[in-house]
Amino acid sequence: MGRYILRRLVQGVITVWFIATATFFAMHNVPGDPLQSDKAVSAEIRANLEARYGLDKPLMEQYFIYLANMAQGDFGISFTQQNREVNDIIAEHFRISAALGILAIAFAALGGILWGALTALYRNRLPDIVIMLLVILGISVPGFVFAGLGQLGVVNLNAALGFTLFPVGGWGTVSHMIVPALVLGLGTMAFLTRLMRSSMLEIANADFLRTARAKGLPANRIFRKHQLRNAILPVVTVLGPSIAAITTGGFVVELVFAIPGLGRYFVQAVQQSDYTVIMGTTVFYGAFLVFMVIVVDIIYGFVDPRVRLE
Amino acid sequence: MSEADMTTGTGVPSFAPVPTSATEAQVISRPSLSYWQDAWRRLKANRRALISLWIVVGLLLFTVFGPFVWRVDPDDQDLDQISKPLGPASAATVATAFEPWAGVYNTLGPLPDTSVAADRLLAPAELVAVGEATTQAVRLSWQPNRTARGASGWRVYRNLYDPAPDHALGLPVGEILNPAETGFEDRLDLEPRRYFYSVLPLDAWGAESSNYITLSVDVKRVITAEEAVVKGLADDALELAPGDSVELAFHPLGTDYLGRDMLARLMHGARVSLFIGIVASFVYVAFGILYGAAAGFAGGRVDQLLMRFADFVVALPFLLFMILFRILFGVESGDSGIAPMLVAMVLLSWPATARLVRGQILQIREEGYVGAARLLGARSVWLVMRHMIPNTMGVILVTLTFAVPSAIFTEAFLSFIGMGVAPPTPSWGSMCNEGLKTMLTTPHELIAPALFISITVLAFNLLGDGLRDALDARMRSTE
Amino acid sequence: MALLEVSDLHVEFDTYGGTVHAVRGVDFRLDEGQTLAIVGESGCGKSVTVQSFTGLIPMPPGRIVRGGATLRGHDILGGGRIDGKEVRGREIGMIFQDPMTSLNPTMTIGDQIAEPLQVHAGMKRRTAHARAVELLEMTRIPEPAKRAEQYPFEFSGGMLQRAMIAMALSCEPSVLIADEPTTALDVTIQAQILDLMVDLQRENGMAIALITHDLGVVARMADEVLVMYAGQVVERGSVDDVFYRSAHPYTLGLKAAMPTNQSEGEQDLQPIDGSPPDLFAPPEGCGYAARCPFAMEACQGPPPVYGIRAAAADAYDHESRCWLHHEDCDIAAEGVHKGE
Repeated sequence: MGRYILRRLVQGVITVWFIATATFFAMHNVPGDPLQSDKAVSAEIRANLEARYGLDKPLMEQYFIYLANMAQGDFGISFTQQNREVNDIIAEHFRISAALGILAIAFAALGGILWGALTALYRNRLPDIVIMLLVILGISVPGFVFAGLGQLGVVNLNAALGFTLFPVGGWGTVSHMIVPALVLGLGTMAFLTRLMRSSMLEIANADFLRTARAKGLPANRIFRKHQLRNAILPVVTVLGPSIAAITTGGFVVELVFAIPGLGRYFVQAVQQSDYTVIMGTTVFYGAFLVFMVIVVDIIYGFVDPRVRLE
Repeated sequence: MSEADMTTGTGVPSFAPVPTSATEAQVISRPSLSYWQDAWRRLKANRRALISLWIVVGLLLFTVFGPFVWRVDPDDQDLDQISKPLGPASAATVATAFEPWAGVYNTLGPLPDTSVAADRLLAPAELVAVGEATTQAVRLSWQPNRTARGASGWRVYRNLYDPAPDHALGLPVGEILNPAETGFEDRLDLEPRRYFYSVLPLDAWGAESSNYITLSVDVKRVITAEEAVVKGLADDALELAPGDSVELAFHPLGTDYLGRDMLARLMHGARVSLFIGIVASFVYVAFGILYGAAAGFAGGRVDQLLMRFADFVVALPFLLFMILFRILFGVESGDSGIAPMLVAMVLLSWPATARLVRGQILQIREEGYVGAARLLGARSVWLVMRHMIPNTMGVILVTLTFAVPSAIFTEAFLSFIGMGVAPPTPSWGSMCNEGLKTMLTTPHELIAPALFISITVLAFNLLGDGLRDALDARMRSTE
Repeated sequence: MALLEVSDLHVEFDTYGGTVHAVRGVDFRLDEGQTLAIVGESGCGKSVTVQSFTGLIPMPPGRIVRGGATLRGHDILGGGRIDGKEVRGREIGMIFQDPMTSLNPTMTIGDQIAEPLQVHAGMKRRTAHARAVELLEMTRIPEPAKRAEQYPFEFSGGMLQRAMIAMALSCEPSVLIADEPTTALDVTIQAQILDLMVDLQRENGMAIALITHDLGVVARMADEVLVMYAGQVVERGSVDDVFYRSAHPYTLGLKAAMPTNQSEGEQDLQPIDGSPPDLFAPPEGCGYAARCPFAMEACQGPPPVYGIRAAAADAYDHESRCWLHHEDCDIAAEGVHKGE
């Protein structure tokens, strides 16, 4: 297990290195010098940046300086927000995105497992049909539409109640988090529900469930200890991609609900061509996602004994 | 028990021998179906999948032939009908050309009193519309409150909703600093709908009183004869008399916030969205098949290496590379941005297909029938063409039907966050992006493209489900 | 009174293609300490028979149309209860064809064996676990304490089948149903598993219902044999009667298709031409008629069950469902035993 984790970590570091390299060379292929773009860069920042990145030096040397800086966790200074370090921006705004994302993924995973198990239990009966219709809807409607409709719903709900139950946007209290997290997790929850359902139905035909029945175990024990436990495994395997989906989905939700998370910042940086912020957040997000996938794989190792001992 | 314990004897049966024919016994009584015949039969029995298939066909017809039937330029702005909701064509009344208004002056009112705080100024009285309220102009007049001391001026607000519940007066449309001038002419972007005008007095320093009077005005759509001719709604200005009705350009699905025809934009947007959805998915699925098949055939070290690389590409975050490609392609605002999107999708989406095909090829290589064919002397070309490809076709087809909606989703998502297709090029995603801004007042601008995305994705998903169920039960267990 | 008695069992399955009449009137009885072998080719309804009366076939699509099953006189059809206690796992233990897929992959072997003890015998987790280790030892698994902590994927097929047997016998059932227990195993392992079953039967005195299509296994294990074809019992009798005094043409066909080691020169195996009838629309008459070398016009009608006169007084009843045994039938069917 230790060797496995180590191998995965080494792989992850290589991936992050590749992302960083690709980002660096892509940025250097941008037509013209990024510092000479039409963005007003003060002489002070320009001098700072040139000193930091050694823009007058040969490309390879710049690349190694960039890698060395990045390895020390130094992502540079924002182009558009003078005197603001990219590190500070990430540190300040990622916390918010992470809180939103964790809530959304928890909601999606628990909901997916619950609804999926329920539909499998009530196969082809009313609860199954209703939930699967909603699931098909959830899979077919883009996330940003959910975000828009969610906000519209909040406006109408508050109007109907006569007081503000959920704020329409912004960040700060728990009530700010609930609707955006629900909206963000909805698509993933629909996907996980479907996966859980098909997994449950597949397990329902497994030989070992017949064995469990032949042992005369009570139905709920068969369900809990034999069917559910094995049916969850595929859901755990797709948690990694789900985290990536929720992370990118978060960009939209933060934009729509005016949440000051890193995702919104990132989209803004792209729209404003704030290159240092783009590079910094790109590498940061890349590292984060790679790390999360490794964490999920390790978790999977604990859930599935067959992986644990390989 | 004794011999011949007869339980069903009714008369003595005949014991004449019947020659049995082995070949007859070999015949299977039910008709046999080929793999594809059987799949088609099962697909036809699946009503959801069949309806989805027709929806997909309908969408393709809508996209390819729609613009030949509905010949409206998606970039044309109909400024008379901005954000028009869907519904039948609207008409306008012919009116004479706009004539300037002299205004209303009231010299009898109290003189302005500079010592009065704004809040003690009372609301004016008798707010009425002068003449007919039309899209040319809304003219208001009011009387100063005679019992109170004089205001120093007036401010006029306009709102789409009744301001009464929470005193939201809306948009300030005019400010009059002459207390004797008690009339106002509003010509600002008037739409044929109901407006709520509020007038309130100002004190000498321009501060507002909290006392106001509100009037609701229904604005009528008018057009001059000359305008009608210019816009091609009538042939000859002389044939139109004031009071006649002229039918405006028809927008069956309404217009967007710039007055562009939604139906035409949806058709042209479908071209972009479906083009990306279909081309991107076909190209990356094709690449994935080649890659996966190569890895599966080669086996051993080469296979290991190829699949390691695929694992590695999977780990790359899509959105970030999408942005890099945009920068790499030098996409400026105003460019359509379709090319980098296609490249990013193709370069980053193939590993899933490659993995699937490789797995299939590895599995099929070990199947008994391939071994049997090999023993009988089949060459590898025959093995591939006759055994491996037909047996992976089902999986490939299903992958493709799921790849298309996911590519459409990706396009919509990227365009929505402003990193895909850029305005003015319409795509369903960019239309959603624009529609979101006016969601609260004119939701049809968001709902129409969102509905098209959802129906398309739904149809492809259900078709994929149906195909998967129809093609092979075995595939369900490998998912 | 028989220990286990199944009478007139009819089972159908509803499928897209129509209704499959999988079992069409099966009767048998099993006495204490005896071994009954149910033989027949794939799809003849062997497994469905035992799985339906123990309630293991999914319903729907499966359906028990009629019939009964009793254990010591108590009705247990569909896996019922006796005196409010579960029959399965307690009175009837079961093992299956493929031990690799028949065990829960995410649970240790020990936990899986302990499970019925906890549920049926009300044992505490630790006691049940200790007993599980004893059971593993009883089935001759080396290092049972260590093995109990392992997961199924760490076991070989033969070891898994031993663990399955340990699990099935954990509550000391009176009947063990073994559904092709050796089909998925290597030949050498097959013999070990069969020996183990025989030994355990001798120790526990349980009855065994053994489903197989391997006549070698039947000869080795069975006291009584049931030959099934197209959802019906075509011949029933003691193992000697069925093997040496076969009274149904299908049994003869099966025997001819079986390899023997009595090497009388190069003896060809004789396959039975044709395939079994379509159970979507089973024939009204004898299901075997289309493949039978002795087919007669009478075979168009359903053949009655005839008792065959026994060779010795203490022999088992011997029955055959074939018109050849009609008293008026004087066709000389070579090899078919017509009684003495």
